[in-house]
Amino acid sequence: MIVEIGHYAVVTALLLSMLGVAAPIIGLKRKNAAWVQVGQRALILTFVLITVGMVAMIYSYLTEDYSVKYVYATSNSKLPIFYKIAGLWGGHEGSLLLWAWILAFYSMAAATLHWKTQPVVMPYLILMESIVLCGFLLLILFLSNPFERIFPAPLDGKDLNPLLQDPAMVVHPPLLYLGYVGLSIPFSFAMAALFSGRLGEEWVKVTQRWTLFAWICLTAGILMGGYWAYYELGWGGYWGWDPVENAAFMPWLVATAFLHSVMVQETRKMFKVWNLFLIILAFSLSLIGTFLVRSGILSSVHSFAADPGRGVFILGFVAFMLLLSFGTLILRSAKLKSSVTIESVVSREAIFLFNNLFFLVALVTVFIGTLYPLLMEVLQFNKVSVGPPYYNAVFMPVALGLIFLMGIGPYIPWRKTTAKNIKELFGLPLMLAFGAGVLLFIFGIREEYALASMTVVAFVAAAIFIDFRKIALFWGKRDRVNPFLGFLSAYRRNPRRIAGLITHVGVLVMIVGITFSSLYQTEKILIMKPGDEVSLKSFQLRMATLHGAEGVNWEGKEALFDIYQEDRIVTQMRPQKRFYTVSQTPTTETAIYQTNMGHLFVTIPEVSPDGTWARVRVLHNPLVLLVWYGGGIMGIGGFLNIFRRDRKRSVVSVASGVTAKTAPSLASGRDGIVAQRSES
Amino acid sequence: MRLGRKTGIVFSISLIVFGLGYLAYGNFGKNLVYFVTPSEVVTFESDRYGRKIRVAGMVVQASLKVVPNTLKITFDLTDGAETIPVAFEGVPPDLFKEGTGAVVEGFWDADGVFHSHMIMAKHEEDYMPIEMKNAGMTLPTKGIIKTLQVK
Repeated sequence: MIVEIGHYAVVTALLLSMLGVAAPIIGLKRKNAAWVQVGQRALILTFVLITVGMVAMIYSYLTEDYSVKYVYATSNSKLPIFYKIAGLWGGHEGSLLLWAWILAFYSMAAATLHWKTQPVVMPYLILMESIVLCGFLLLILFLSNPFERIFPAPLDGKDLNPLLQDPAMVVHPPLLYLGYVGLSIPFSFAMAALFSGRLGEEWVKVTQRWTLFAWICLTAGILMGGYWAYYELGWGGYWGWDPVENAAFMPWLVATAFLHSVMVQETRKMFKVWNLFLIILAFSLSLIGTFLVRSGILSSVHSFAADPGRGVFILGFVAFMLLLSFGTLILRSAKLKSSVTIESVVSREAIFLFNNLFFLVALVTVFIGTLYPLLMEVLQFNKVSVGPPYYNAVFMPVALGLIFLMGIGPYIPWRKTTAKNIKELFGLPLMLAFGAGVLLFIFGIREEYALASMTVVAFVAAAIFIDFRKIALFWGKRDRVNPFLGFLSAYRRNPRRIAGLITHVGVLVMIVGITFSSLYQTEKILIMKPGDEVSLKSFQLRMATLHGAEGVNWEGKEALFDIYQEDRIVTQMRPQKRFYTVSQTPTTETAIYQTNMGHLFVTIPEVSPDGTWARVRVLHNPLVLLVWYGGGIMGIGGFLNIFRRDRKRSVVSVASGVTAKTAPSLASGRDGIVAQRSES
Repeated sequence: MRLGRKTGIVFSISLIVFGLGYLAYGNFGKNLVYFVTPSEVVTFESDRYGRKIRVAGMVVQASLKVVPNTLKITFDLTDGAETIPVAFEGVPPDLFKEGTGAVVEGFWDADGVFHSHMIMAKHEEDYMPIEMKNAGMTLPTKGIIKTLQVK
């Protein structure tokens, strides 16, 4: 009964989202604001109704109603309550419902928050959001309906895929979707700007926080997925250039490029068409990503079902959105000739240009690698796959280039600069970086890529540190406080810049983690019996026992390892081989011991049937934790940026004429000057 | 003067694009791995020995043998028409077992054995390599009703 209520609620939501498409169009035609209001109310109601649908589904999970086919397929009465709820996004149908719910939430939020301030944009925003919503609700109701019942009702469910019974997997899909779908808001604003012809800097400023929030969620979602793969798949790596990972990574690349290039538009009124293009591309890639993952054309962990009908529908829908958005862009962008051109290769706008170029090259690389095999298959040529070495070969130089730019971009002045200025700005960081490189070489780092990446990281770190120190001292002196408080006061004056730089620090930390954990990983695979010992790096592992173990919905074997370092026992580790009885699936549970930001990682992928020996895999991943700590710092930087309080800028226009040399901060250029003046 | 700056930008952009494009192109072809079926593998001429490929098929029942005290296992892989022996060294995935679909990566050699270092198995119960589906093969499907009867 409850499920039927949910079902009808979502059917009504579909009808309302159609109204959401029609009402703003009528409103625009008749120049009648009341119709736009109708559209807004329709959007809000759509959200409420999809929420009813979600609650109904969760209700049937909690009440163990296995007559609902989807609940039957993704849950079981033995599951802990936590995973019962998470079962909703453990399969295809529920994931799409979650997608639509998040989309409805964003649409409602944007249509309410900007209702008063953005009246001109509103009809187009409601229109675009409703179109996307409509498409997804059609897909849910007609091709992948989670409310469908089966008869006769099974007594118990088939169980949630054991690999998904994991805390990281509970939050990974919602975060990823918050990221994917969040990009729809800046996308809709961009489309509104195109339709309404208000192509100034306004849409860029309004959407900045939306994009940032989506970006943070996307980053967190990707990292969470990586963490899950790292320990739950017992594989020891966190990134495998799997098509599904790529599907999430592509919108991230473009969103990151967009976050950077909008700054050029805000400050220098350049890159206008480019920014429109980027955000449309970013959201299109979200849709393409959804298509790739949900249509089932990729055979991977994430493709729950291969149903041609769904594939064709999503493909058609994506094609429609691409035509609509890029078509409008092409038709409308002709009048958008930027009046300003780049004056010098050594200017901040040029650095931004190179930043975007690198991101786009990265995108094209991933795009080709992901879609080429599909294209080959569709054209009935040989079936192929593209191996990770391809991605690594292209990505490492691109990443190095991007990090290098991180050390230059924030400090180099806008417009142009002089050789003397460059020497002043980058002389010290370059020397420090060179020193760091030599030191690392002396300490035995001989891998070319490790040396290169650490030298570049040192360069950027030095540049950031020198800048932070300089502004801390400057504002400390000015406000007569200590440098630490001076830094805080600098943050209050220019929060966006400082928050951005904190995100950069996060990237650096992550790069250190990636470099060391991938280039200096050590591994041993062997067969061990209780009593056997093996050593890896400074650790000695002794298998003490190999015994049976069981949990609520699984049974299996557990090995107990004593871990010694310099003949002293430091810890015990218990990797498991589980067998989930309901779904009849085996899994390998990893045991991890943290050591100096690195991990000792032990799995027993195979235990002999008689339980006398186990195949053991031991890994040492140095500094691997920095990958996620770096992600955390990136997130902090992002949130500081979202929740920043912009100061009212009284003087804006004159500042651009002043050379950057007089700026208090290390060539923070206009921003610094503006802050200084509004102070006086 | 203006032209000079523009040329500078265009030049640096082309340099980056061509450099990375060359890198991508060079590595792309090298890292393409072709999917084949056991039927195709058995027809290989010597020029294709030792080249990295992926073979999709079903693991033949009762063919899996573990070489004692090593990390080696051997098994047969079939697409219904032809069967090839596979020698694998490493850690097979959790879901790898007899009677299920698997994709193995490695190379075919003159000894008539497929040497593999990586196995990919799928956890969907009704998974079967797409090549076999195309060949019209079907798996014994566990219907919902059947599952109920077991309960």
